[in-house]
Formats: sequence, structure tokens, C-alpha cells
Amino acid sequence: MPARRIELMLCTGTGCVAGGALRIKEALEAELARHGLPDEVSVVPTGCNGFCGQGPLLVVLPDQIFYGWLKTDDIPFLVQEHFLKGRPVQRLMFMPPEKKERIPLLGDIPFFKKQMLLVLRNKGVIDPEKIEDYIARDGYVALEKVLTTLTPFDVIEEITRSGLRGRGGAGFPTGVKWKVCRSEKKIPKYIIGNCDEGDPGAYMDRSLLESDPHSLVEGITIAAYAIGASQGFVYVRTEYPLAIQRLRGAIIQANEYGLLGERILGSNFSFNLEIREGSGAFVCGEETSLIHSIEGGSPEPRQRPPFPAQVGLWGCPTVINNVETLANVPQIISRGADWFAGIGTETSKGTKIFSLVGKINNTGLIEVPMGITLREIINDIGGGIPGGKQLKAVQTGGPSGGCIPNSHIDLPIDYESLKEVGSMMGSGGMIVMDEDTCMVDVSKFFVQFTNDESCGKCSACRDGSDALLEVLTRITEGEGREGDVEFLEELGAAVKDASMCGLGTTLPNPVLTTIRYFRDEYDAHIKEKRCPAKVCKSLTAYWIDPKLCQACLICMRECPGQSIYGEKNIIHVIDQGKCTKCGVCFDVCPPNFDAVKKLSGVPVPSVERGIKVERKKRGKPEQEQVHA
Amino acid sequence: MPSETKQNGRVGAALVVGGGIGGMQAALDLAGGGIKVYLADSKASIGGVMAQLDKTFPTNDCAMCTMAPRLVEIGRHKDIEILTLSDVERIEGRPGNFTVTISRRPRFVDESKCTGCGTCVANCPTQTRVQPVEVPAAEIEPSLRVKVANIIARHKNRQGPLMPILQEVNAALNYFPEAVLKYISQETGYPFTHVYRIATFYSAFSVVPRGKYVINVCMGTTCYVRGSERLMDRFAETLKIRPEETTPDMLVTLKGVRCIGCCGLAPAVMVGDSVYGRLTVKEVAGIAKKYAGGNNHGKVNAG
Repeated sequence: MPARRIELMLCTGTGCVAGGALRIKEALEAELARHGLPDEVSVVPTGCNGFCGQGPLLVVLPDQIFYGWLKTDDIPFLVQEHFLKGRPVQRLMFMPPEKKERIPLLGDIPFFKKQMLLVLRNKGVIDPEKIEDYIARDGYVALEKVLTTLTPFDVIEEITRSGLRGRGGAGFPTGVKWKVCRSEKKIPKYIIGNCDEGDPGAYMDRSLLESDPHSLVEGITIAAYAIGASQGFVYVRTEYPLAIQRLRGAIIQANEYGLLGERILGSNFSFNLEIREGSGAFVCGEETSLIHSIEGGSPEPRQRPPFPAQVGLWGCPTVINNVETLANVPQIISRGADWFAGIGTETSKGTKIFSLVGKINNTGLIEVPMGITLREIINDIGGGIPGGKQLKAVQTGGPSGGCIPNSHIDLPIDYESLKEVGSMMGSGGMIVMDEDTCMVDVSKFFVQFTNDESCGKCSACRDGSDALLEVLTRITEGEGREGDVEFLEELGAAVKDASMCGLGTTLPNPVLTTIRYFRDEYDAHIKEKRCPAKVCKSLTAYWIDPKLCQACLICMRECPGQSIYGEKNIIHVIDQGKCTKCGVCFDVCPPNFDAVKKLSGVPVPSVERGIKVERKKRGKPEQEQVHA
Repeated sequence: MPSETKQNGRVGAALVVGGGIGGMQAALDLAGGGIKVYLADSKASIGGVMAQLDKTFPTNDCAMCTMAPRLVEIGRHKDIEILTLSDVERIEGRPGNFTVTISRRPRFVDESKCTGCGTCVANCPTQTRVQPVEVPAAEIEPSLRVKVANIIARHKNRQGPLMPILQEVNAALNYFPEAVLKYISQETGYPFTHVYRIATFYSAFSVVPRGKYVINVCMGTTCYVRGSERLMDRFAETLKIRPEETTPDMLVTLKGVRCIGCCGLAPAVMVGDSVYGRLTVKEVAGIAKKYAGGNNHGKVNAG
């Protein structure tokens, strides 16, 4: 391929595709063709760039200019100005929320600045569907080194020395796991890549497969060599069609290049890799459950020990590693264990990918060294909370994790520190919550999730989550009683002790941590029948402030239940008896009026019907009405 | 309570129906109060379900340890009469004075002489003989049969064939008719109960027909804190169905799904391959109508 003057790295991860990235690609190509530029400028579809909150987005190489929130209408102008005339387009560049000036270069955007790209080093830089791109970035060098110069024991030793721990959440040392499996006498042995990423709010594994599938293929092949397996599986959620498609392509290409299959790179080592799809069950992310699912049995966990490394798939020794763990392996081999061990904290080495989502300005996927503080992640990388609101808590570890309160914002993040505050690393979801999030509602949400996904095998998890949910639901509906919180604590501890697998032993975490740090919110729900965040429907009412209402008719028109009374120039009143509390009126009330209010814990003031509107500022509201 | 029962006084006996842990405790409490108790159970012994359990929630106490003292006490209690293999036929009378007819099935063992040694159980010839059960062949439409048979043939010889087979059949048929599940069980040798269990366990599978379009409202954490529950309510309201239901014309199924991984677009809704992101409640009706009031549907009717 001849060298191009400009390369446009267009993100085609799931988020951006949903935002219309493929239409942008067509528009770009058509426009480039129209200007006779296809030989000079090429469009490269890449995997997830990580800055999903700005999608659809593209990065212009070699200038490193970042454009976000693209629309098809912008494309003709962009092509003409930048790629034809060489004048970068200011208005499409990234605008930091607090400042006025746009930032043109990718490297200057704070979101990217503080990150450390190890596992995601190829994201947005290569075409994930071309093995050549991966090889050009030193891909498969580690595999070659392993097969030509290292014994399996050397590989295990190297990984153990690097201090790599499982990225699926529990943080078991990877080298130790491999060693146990290697020393088992029974053959065959199996290796499984776990991409059943069920945690809501976490999508790092999907992104990894979408942006750089070969790093997993190389990692899992090295792992197979180390433990002595000749057959491997990657278990992917069926909800990730794009990731499955890209991984399938990568496996085919690697087979064609002799990097998978019989006698890899001319050595005596053969390895076959297959994809197995899940079908939507959270519990299948648990390793024994996953094994049963591949076998076609009931996808329920079983008692450990024996661990899968001893007795696993079809009764044979099996190593199950998270996708992110495996993608770390090639880097450790080619750059050395000492280099890797130099990153991170005392007990947790390397980097971790988090999906930074929720009430945060810069939503996206980030890779940061272990030991970074929450403050750095939220304020520097995440760009703070939108709307100048206060940070209330950060939820890590999905339904198994806990909520870390604002007061622990200077916590350096690693496996141990998170455990200490009652949460866990989990697969790396990091959900930011602001003052508008009700912590009782959030813990109800998680228990609802685990209750639904509990396989039902052991009663502590099945019935315990039922009981927790019942009490939490009661509290959010304003029926909480004295002693409910103590009951939740006691039951939570019992479920923790008595459940068999990770799902049950961690499911009380969201409840226990919210009680630990946000006891006042529980008390407000129970004693004052008030939801401080004004989220719980039964405890909240919508009310139109007659002093602020400008009778613009918008909320009346949008109300799905016709429960707003009013006319032109007559102040609108919500009929509390008919209101279903859907919140549409709150959303549509123009921000400069801000007349619809949420009330909780106070009686709804009654407003007489038929009051005429008093217009103080004549100019603005009038115009607004014309618009409407 | 009518006055006549008071005058008549209490009948000095009570009947407890069911000899599980609850029935046993009730019998003991009554007998402790000086009332003669008949404890009836349809099984050959009392004890009920708890006798089959290892541990009980939430304390994880050993079930037998809870039960055994009560069993012994009931066996020894002079005021409790155990009626096993018994069915309640008829109850007459009014509170305080009932007449109950109980029929006892034959046991063929003289209970007064039996020591419970268990030798008869070990030597019973019918127990060791396998009783063949006639399983009728699954009734399945010929065209369906060919389709499913092809899928089964493709996967039958690999290790762990059931999941790939079910996934492909699900993709082809959109749901599992019971006959198809029976056919799969018959062809693969997995028991029907097992196939059914797998088919109902995973959220991607369904045993009831689903609509042409499935509206998946993401209920992941990010979408949830950004208000996806309100979107769901609005969808349900607009489509006049509850979540997990299908409109009567089989066009739209409304479903809450676990994270679809579009957290950057929260709150998000996925229909087929299209994702609608950063939605507000206001936009919901438009999307719902696009699929439910589908233009195609209108045309079909008109044509």
C-alpha cells in the first residue's frame, strides 16, 4: 500500500457505530473521492478509541488532531477545510467542560494525558481486522521469543515474577494458577479466555476484542504453551456481536499465517483456538459455571476445591483467565518481568482498564497504572461531574462491588485498598454517581440484578437475595420500619458466609457498603419518608412552582397521562392524583423557567387552578413561547 | 364462634394434616396442651421435605438435627397417633366439633410387629427390575424437523453439543416450541428436563414466541442511574404491554437487558442492530411507534 499523506483513524467500536460511525465513514469516503483525494487520504476503521463520550470520533494522523461528535453534515466542510486546504476545523475539536478554549491535539486532552497504555497500546492505531497492522506494531514477537528460546517453566517463572494478577476481579496470581495446572499429571489440558463480561457498566473486554483481538490470540497461545494445552476456548457473551466477529476474523488470519494450528512457527507446539458463545447468563462468568456452560450442562457453579486448574473442563486441568489478563502476557514476555513489576503498587502490578461511566463529563474507557487515586481519575481524566454537581460516590466492581464515598476520593486504587473499603476491583466498571443518585435505590438495583441472575442452586443466595430485595423495595416505597437496616446488615453477613460461589458471597456488598457510608440516607427513607436524592417514586412528587411557571404549554403537551391542568396564560397545575411520576414535565420545562420541581418529604403545596400568569421579564419568555 | 360449640365444649381431639416439620411441631404443641392429636400424612412416613434437606436457610443448621428430636418425641408421645399412608376423604361438622373420614391405604406390613429393620426393602424383587417407560416420539412438523435435524447433525459429534445446537435453533426459530425441545432431547440423548432447563435458564432463549422486533431497554448500572427505568415505564405505557411481553399482533417484544456495553451512550435502547443512545423519555413514544405502528404492518393490512 502506498504511503498516504493523511490517515483518518475513525473509531468503529460499538459505541461509535451506534452513534453513526459507519455513515460517517461512507460520507468521508464519498467526499474524499469527490475531491480526488483517495490516494492521499485514507480512512482506517479502528477499534474502540476509548473516549466513547465523544463518539463518533476520528483522529487525524500524523498531526494527531482529534475530532469528536461528528455528524454526516459536518463531513463536506471538514474534508474541504482540513484535508484539502490544510486548515483544521476548530469547531469540531474537543471542548473541555470547564474551559472556553478547544484542544486540537489528542495528546493534550487531559482524558488521554494521564493514561498509561499497555494492554490498549494498539487501540485506535491499527485496523483490528488486519493481522499485518498488529505485526507491524511488534505483534507476535513475544510468541516467537517463547517458542524459540523459552521453556514452559521459564514462561511461568517470568509471569510469576512480573506479579501479574487476574484482571477478572479476584486478583489471583496468574503465574501460580499456571504452575498448578502445569504440574497436574492428567492430559489433555485446556485454556479458556473468559470474555463473559456480565458486570453492568463494564465493557473493557469487549473493547479489547474490538480494537486489538490479536493481543488476546497471542496471549492465550503463550499461556497454552506454558501450561501444556493444545486446545483453547474463548467464551464471549452473545451480546457482543462485533467482538465475536473481529475475534473470529483474527483466529482465521492467525491460522493462515501459521501462528495458530499445527506446529506453530515451525516448532513442535500445536494449538487450536475456538470461540464459544454465551447466551446471556451472568453467573456464567463464574469459572466453574462457565465450564458447565461449555460442556452443555446446567450452568451452575460447584464447590471449590478442586479448582479448575486441577479438575476443570471435561474433568481435565483447565486454566481460565480473563481476556485482559491474557492480553497483558505478550507485553510482559517481550519487555520483561522487571519492567512490568516496576509499574503499580507493592501488591498490584501493571495497569488496569476501567470503564469510566455514569455522571461524569468524559465517559469512556481508560487504562491507568495501579495506585492512581480516584481523584486523579475523576477530576483529571474524567473532567469532573457535569452541571457542577457534587460527587457522591463511585461504584466499582459491578454488582459484587461496593460504593466508595466522596470522603475516600484520595484512595490509591489497587486490589487490597478497594477490599479494605468494602468494594472490590471486579472487572473494572467505575460508575460515578452524583448528588442526584439515591444510594438506597442503587443498592436495590444491584440486588434486583443479582436476585434475577442467581442460578438458584444454593438457598443462601436464592432466598437471601429475595429477602434483601423485599426489605429494600419496602424502604424505597416508603414502608421502611425501624430495625430494617440492622436486619439488612445481619442478613447480608449471613448470605456472605453461606453462599457457595462468588456471586452469592459478594452480592450483599452494595447493600453493606451503602449502609456503612450512607446510613443517613437509609434513615431519611425510613424515619422521615424522604428520598434525599428525589429518585424513589413513591416518596417523590412533581410540582409546578406557580411563581416560576410561564404557562408555555410545553409540559401540558408532553404529559403522557394528561394530568397537567392549564391553558394559555393560565398557570399549569399537576393533578397529583393522576400523575404517574414519569418525569417528562421535569425534563421538558425550559431551563430558564425551571418551574417544575421535585419534592420529597414535604407535603405538596396545593395551587389553585386558573391563576393568570404574571410576566415580569417580558422579552425572553415571550420569545420562548413563539419557539414552542 | 357460635354459642352451641361453647356449650358443647371442645372435642378432646385434633387432627393435623401433613407430617412435615410444621405439622410435627403443631402436633407436639397441641399434645403438650393436653389434646389428643391425630397426625395424618399421605406418605409412608412423617418428616416431609425437610427430611430430604442437608441444611436449612438462613442459619445453615443441619436439617436432621432440627428434626430428629421431634420425630422421637412424636413417636413416644402417648397422645399422638400417627396415621401414615392416609388420605382425608371428607370433613363434616363445624369448628370445635368435626367429623373427619380418613382412608388408609394398605401397607401390607403389620405395623405392630415391624421393627423397621429394612430387610424387606433390600429384598423386594420389583425394586431391582427396570420398568421400561414408553416415550412417545416427538411430534414435530416435517419442515421444522429437517431444519432442526440439519443443525443437530452439524454439532452432534463435537464435545458439548447442546449449547451450540440450542443457539443455532434459537437463531433460526426465534423461540423453542416444546416439540422442538423434545426432538432435540430425543436426538441428542439429553433428558428432556435438562434440555428444558437450559432453554429456560439463559436470557437469550425463550420458550414463548417473540415479536418481530425486540426492543431491548438497557438496564445496566450506567443507564439505570441515567434514568433507563423511566424509559422502560414509558415504553410499557406506549405499547400497552409489560416488560417481557409481546404486543398481540406479534410485532414488538419489550425487554429489559443487562448492560449492552454502550455506557458512553447511556441511557440506551437496542432494537435489532440499531442502538438509540442518550435517550430522553420524550423520544420514547416515537421509537415505540416506529416499530409497533410499523409501516410494513399497515401495508400488509391494506394489501
